[in-house]
This record gives sequence, C-alpha cells and structure tokens, in this order.
Amino acid sequence: MASSHDADATGITRRKSLAALAGAGALGLAGCTQSSDGSDGGDGSDGGDGSDGELSGPINIAGSSTVFPLMSAVMEDFAAQHPGVDPDISSTGSGGGFSNFFCTGDTDFNNASRPIQPEEEELCAENGVEYVELVAATDALTVVVNPDADWIDSLTTEELAQIWESDPAQTWDEVRDEFPNEEIERFGAADTSGTYDYFIESTLGERGHTSDYQATEQDNTIAQGVSGSEYAIGYFGFAYYFQNPDQLKALGIDDGDGPVEPSLETASSGEYTPLSRPLFTYPSIESLGEEHIAEFARYFVEQTTDEDLVAGDVGYVPATEETQEEQMSILEDAIEQAQG
Amino acid sequence: MATDNANADGFGEVSRVRGIAFEYLSLGASVFGLVALGVLLVYVAIDAFDLSNASPEWLLTYFVTLVVPFLAFCLYSADDPAVTRRALGALGGGLVAVAVVFTAIESLLVPIPRLNWQLAYLFVVAAPVAAYLTYVGSNGRPGAVGFGLLGRLVGGAALGLAVGTLFLVFDSLVWFLAYTLGVLPAVGLYAYGRVREASRARTAALPVGFLGLVAAVVLRDVIPTYPSDLLIYLWTIAVPIAVAGGLVVADRRGRTVAAVAAGLPLAVATAGGFWATGAGLPAPTVLLVLVTTGVPTAVYVSRVVDVGEGVVGLALPFLIAGGVVVGALVVEAWGVPAPDPWLDAGFVTEAPSRTPANAGLYPAIVGSVIIIALVAVLSFLLGVGTSVFLEEYTPGTGPIGTLTRILQVNIANLAAVPSVVYGLLGLGLFANLLGLGIGTAVTAALTLSLLILPITIISAQEAIRSVPDDLRRGSDAMGATRWQTTKNVVLPEAMPGILTGTILALGRAIGETAPLIMIGAATTVFNPPSSLFSRFSAMPMQIYTWAGFPQADFRYGVVAAGVITLLIILVGMNGTAILLRNRAERGS
Repeated sequence: MASSHDADATGITRRKSLAALAGAGALGLAGCTQSSDGSDGGDGSDGGDGSDGELSGPINIAGSSTVFPLMSAVMEDFAAQHPGVDPDISSTGSGGGFSNFFCTGDTDFNNASRPIQPEEEELCAENGVEYVELVAATDALTVVVNPDADWIDSLTTEELAQIWESDPAQTWDEVRDEFPNEEIERFGAADTSGTYDYFIESTLGERGHTSDYQATEQDNTIAQGVSGSEYAIGYFGFAYYFQNPDQLKALGIDDGDGPVEPSLETASSGEYTPLSRPLFTYPSIESLGEEHIAEFARYFVEQTTDEDLVAGDVGYVPATEETQEEQMSILEDAIEQAQG
Repeated sequence: MATDNANADGFGEVSRVRGIAFEYLSLGASVFGLVALGVLLVYVAIDAFDLSNASPEWLLTYFVTLVVPFLAFCLYSADDPAVTRRALGALGGGLVAVAVVFTAIESLLVPIPRLNWQLAYLFVVAAPVAAYLTYVGSNGRPGAVGFGLLGRLVGGAALGLAVGTLFLVFDSLVWFLAYTLGVLPAVGLYAYGRVREASRARTAALPVGFLGLVAAVVLRDVIPTYPSDLLIYLWTIAVPIAVAGGLVVADRRGRTVAAVAAGLPLAVATAGGFWATGAGLPAPTVLLVLVTTGVPTAVYVSRVVDVGEGVVGLALPFLIAGGVVVGALVVEAWGVPAPDPWLDAGFVTEAPSRTPANAGLYPAIVGSVIIIALVAVLSFLLGVGTSVFLEEYTPGTGPIGTLTRILQVNIANLAAVPSVVYGLLGLGLFANLLGLGIGTAVTAALTLSLLILPITIISAQEAIRSVPDDLRRGSDAMGATRWQTTKNVVLPEAMPGILTGTILALGRAIGETAPLIMIGAATTVFNPPSSLFSRFSAMPMQIYTWAGFPQADFRYGVVAAGVITLLIILVGMNGTAILLRNRAERGS
C-alpha cells in the first residue's frame, strides 16, 4: 500500500535495495526449485500427496438432502485418505439433483431417497447418461407428535392415511373416537422432497397428499412445529429423531401386526412397515470409467455396513452383508462396462 | 417557532405534544432495531465461544488480567479526570445495577436462558464502556500510537492471509513470470521517469508491463524449472513490500534506520517461511503474514520513535498479549474450568466433518474470500465505468438524453429484482451458454457482480453527481480535456462516495445464498478451490446446511461459530474499504 511514496528516494538506497533484490534472486536460483508441472499444490504442500499419488480429480455429487449427511460422512473419510481427490457435495433434493444436474451430465453421483422416476429416466436417456442404482442404507420414516401428547402412542396405517390424505380428517376425534376433539396441525416434507414421494407411495397411494400442512425441506422446522403444539403431527427421516429422542415422541405404526416403533433394529429386521425405505445413490457409468470415481464408489459400498458411521454418526440403518455383496457386484459390473 | 401560528388575535399557541411524541417514537424505533440486533449478536457470541459454560472465576481472571489493564491504558491516554470518573462510575454502578436487575427479572418474571449476570454485565456495561474508552483513548497521543500499532498488526496479518488465500487459485508460476518480466520493469521505468524527470521512460512503462505479461503467459509452459513457491513469494511480494517500507523510512530517518526497519522484518519473515516448511505449515502464507505485519509495524514504530510523542503507546500490544498469557497461566495454575469454544483454530483451518467437534469452515472461507475479491474488482470496474459514462459522457437532452433516462430507470428497477432471478441468469448465461461451468468460482463471481451492479452504479452515480459543477468548469477553463477532468477532478472527488456504495453492495454479496444455490454451488467441499474453474462452497451455504443437521451441537454451536466467522470477515472487508475511503477523503 505504501509503495506509491517511494518517488524521491536517494540513489544509494535504491542501489542497496537492488543489491538486496539480486541477492534474493540468486538465493532463489541456487535454492530449491520446482518443475513447471508440479505447481498444483500451490501452497507449499507439494510433498503431501506422495502416498496415494495415482488418485486425483474432482468428484461431483448432488441429490437428496436425506442422503446428504451419509454421503458427506463417507466422503470425509475418503477425502482424508486421498488428498488429491477434490470432492463436492450439494444437497439439492432427489428430483432437483436428477433433473438439473445428473441427467444433464454435470454430476458423477446423484443421491436419492426414492427410486429414479420414469420422466427422469427419459431425461437421462435423452442426454445419453447411463447409471446404476446402488442401495446406500435404510431409513425409517418417523411419525412424531408432541412429547406431552400422552393420549396417543401409535396409529394404524389407515389412521395415518386419514390424517394425511388429500381430504384429511380435521380433528383428532375423527381419526379415533378416544382422541380429543382438537384440530390436527400437520407438518411435513415439501413436494420437492423424496420423503414426500415415499410417504405417498407407502401409505397414501391413490388417496393423495393433503395440501393443508406446513411444508418444508428442513427437519428442524418440522421438529420445532411439532414441539410447539400438543395436537401437532409430523413426519421426517429417522436421523433427526435418532439424534434428538427427548425432543419429540415417535409413534408406533400398526400395519396389521400390532404397533411397531421406529428404531434401527425394527427397520433392519423389516418389522417397521410400511415406512422403512431404502436410500439410493446413482453413479453415472461414464464417470465410473475414471479410476478415482470408481474407487470412491467401491469405498462407499464398503462403508454402507459400517455401524458406527451409518447408524451412530448419521442415524440410518446400515446395509446387511448380503445387500452389500449384491451392490458390490452390480458396481463391479458397471465399472467393468465403463473401463473395459 | 410558536410565532409561525400568529393570527389576527395575536400570538396563538402551538402544542408541543406532537413534537415530543415524534422524538420519542423515533428514539423507540432506533432502540428497537439496535437492541434486537444486539441481543441476537450476544446470543450468537455466547454459543460460538461457549460462554454459557464459562465459570465466574474464568471471567473474573480475564477481566482482571486483560480488560482492566486495557481500560487503564485508555484512561491514561485520555488523561482526563472527568472521563476517568465517568468510566469508573459506569463500571461500578453498572455492576450493581446489572446484578440487581438481572436477579430481579430471573426471580420475579422469567428465567433468562444461557446468560448469567456476570455475562450480562460484560455485554451490557463492560463492552460499551470499553468501546467508549477506546474512542476517547485513541484521541490521546499514546492511545493513537497504541491503536495505530495494533491496527497494523491485525490489518497486516489479515492482508497476508487474504493474499495467501488468493494465491491458492492463481498460478504462482505465471505470477512469478509476470512480476519478473512485466511488473518489475514497468515499475522501475516509471520510478526512474519520476525521479529523473524523463517522461519517455514513464510513457514506456505501460507497454513494457503489458509485453511482460504477454511474455509471462507464453513462457509459462516453456520454462521447465522454477524456484519453489516460497522463493517466488519472497521475490515477488516480500522483497517489494520491504523495499517500499524501507524507502518510506529512508525519507525521514536515513539509510541505516531504513535498512534495519525493512531488513529485520524481511529476515524474520524469511526465517519464518523456512521454519514453516520444516514444521509442515503452509510456508508461503506464513511468509506473507510475517511480511505484511512486520514491515508496516517496523515503519510505524520508526516513525513514532522519530516523532517522539506517545512512544509509551507502543506498549499496548504487549499489554494485551501479556494479559492473555497471564490469564492463561492463572487459569491453568488454579485449575479454573475454561469454556471450550466452537470457534477455535481448528474451525477455521479444517474441512467440514460429520462430528460437530471436528467440523471446520476452511474450504468455505477460502471460497467466499476468493469470490468476494473477484466480485469487488469486477463490480467496481463495471460500476464505475457505467456511472462515469452515464454521468460524464452522455448529454442530458435530446434523444440520447431520453435513452439515458430510460436506462437509468431500468437500472434502478434492476436493483429491486430478487436475487434468485440473478441466479437463474447466471446459470443460463455464464454456466451454460458461456460454458464457465456449473458451480464454479468464476460463475459465482460473475453472477454476484451482476447482482450488486445496480447498487454500485446508482451509488457511484450519486457520488459523481455530487461533485460540484464549478470544479468541472474550472478544470475546463484551464484547458483540460474531458478525460483529464474526469481523471483528475471528478473521480478523486467522488471516490469516497463510490467506495461507500461498493462497501454496502459487497456486504450484500458475501451473504447471498439464493443465487449460489441456483448456479449449483456445492453445499460441502473438503478442499479449498484450486483454480477459478473448480467447484467451491461459500460460507452461507455451509452454515445453512449445518442449521439443518439433526445434531443439536451443529445447530447451535457450529452454526454460531460460522456466523461469527462470517461477521469477522465482513467487518474486516468493510474495515479495509473504510480505510481506503478515509485515505481518499484525506487526499482530496
């Protein structure tokens, strides 16, 4: 900043400074050097990427906000092991990720909390994007009420549908006679979310989803809304309830065999029906042709059985060994197709 | 003013009620906004630094070792018994008042979450008193010296970090060649021309510099071997800064002092750089920070010593550092439980993580800084260019004048267009049509520049319009061309206003999330961007994501730490711009 005031300096100082400059320059030439292509580090960390030098390049991931915490947890470890790899993950919602990024060929993976839909398949086909479907983990959609609502512990799937269908029950006693005569306040997922799609598919079907509810992508907002009123009800992925079990009360769901409460055990054993759902990630086959992306996909499938990571840190149900083997063989076929 | 209402019957009376009511309403309006913001910031700070877990002993320790000496320094500098009485009265009276009021509210009305009366005292009484005393103290000579030195230390470190960050995405080898072949010869020619009154050398400077830049780009891949990054930064940044500092000192104090003032920090910085290489730290950044802090500090110290007034103020940084060290020792020795802040060194130097304790903001900080630097340059150039053209070069009448007015109205309307629309524009125009890539730093910078362009243009136009026409006519009368008038009269006069507008606009740009989501900026990245065309994440994106995480520690602690970091960078950025503005104001 101060360099503009140097105009009327005396000659000798300048000569001295020039000598100093020359000295520094000579030091530069004599000292350590680098080659013109070894400048990628840019930060003096040139020596750091010696161990896994082969793997480098970007990995672009977008998609479901439900799968986002799982994907970024796995990526955190992968990025730590391979400093040359440059990953980025966006939380765009399942549908947003497919239509805006994945099927236009801009991302390598798309996470989804429901299977890819026909119109998205068409879009991908139009742009020549091929993909495989990998199961990442299992989630248990959790229906929650206020912890003070001691009059309710479980709902049957029919009652749940009555609350959320397109022409829904207005008061609780319309759902079951012993419930209080109070208005139902609903908090649920926005229609861009895979959670919304799956909720319709699993419980509502043709009956459609009500529009008389507070819609949001943020689990937080649902939790705040439900904890604000004794007569509120909401649904979201299991992770939020798993991390904050005292803040809300999860309802058991009765699918004909008595009420089952959502938990890692009931979801993995298949008892928690119909709300337990698989979570997916879709790698593009063209991207799997690149070694670092194929390696990450393998690593991801390996990690899906890791209980500490999937269940403990994120709050989803880890895949079983059989599922993992199945997914791994699907993946290896795809990698072979891409690289072979 | 009552005489305004005079009528035929004599002087009437005017009720003052309305005036008084208006005064208090406007007071209420200002207090409401400020108090609401203040409460928000206090809670964010408490969460970020985990102050709700700070024991009273811990607070007391640092209050005695750090705050009290600082206040004493300010009082000494102010050297005014009235101020001392007022400050001590406020501190003492405030202590009693806060303790009583706080306890009364808690026991009679509602419990106040996450606060105790000691913290309330700190925020409600101690902080305002410290701010007031800082202001009063900096008017005295020792205080001015102390805060000047402190400012150079903090500002220099921030500048070094910012430059180091920018060089993460710029190719240091091209910069090395461009500096050696272009910048250095051009500056040399220009300086030679100034000193020897040789106008030919001065005119040659620009073409020589340009040729050097072209040569640098061409030769980048031809030359096989380069000095290491550390030496490049030493040669292209550290040495020039030291030389410039030395020249400033040489002006006043002579060569020996100048050589010491410039050489000592340079030597320390070089040693620090080589030590950092060995210690595994980013050596170029260490070197830059040491140089940008050391040289201005040395120059300032030499000037203060030369002037000989308020030399005692130079002790202020030692007072503060000593307070921190003594406080830490006391806390350690007595085993006082200390809070565990979320905003710590790890938070600003590490990548995001799934566990709140390890979560960091580093890649997003770098992303934001790089984007904002690009936005600042782009929007300043585009904004000033547009406004100068509209104000100085277009006629006010005739068909062109009408066209200009239509343009003006449209620019004003653009300022009110929602930011999402700019995001769509960025996605369509920059990312897809021009092929700059979805979610890249350069796409984001261009989009955000467009977003704030109307604001910069309008404020720059206001500033240019407020330059009195007499000045222009005077310059015309001296035979100056329009270009000379604009360059020598209008722009220097309007610069403070232009900078103020740009500061406000940049403050908006750094906090924008919607356009970034639209252009596909990543939510989370684990490495800082390595070029302008790599994908990046920005601070608001990462903070928003954390706010949606299920773990409570993310939603309170980590988000708060992110918000404070964003605020600190915003304040730093605004501070720089305000310094530039004040300099421009003094210059004109």
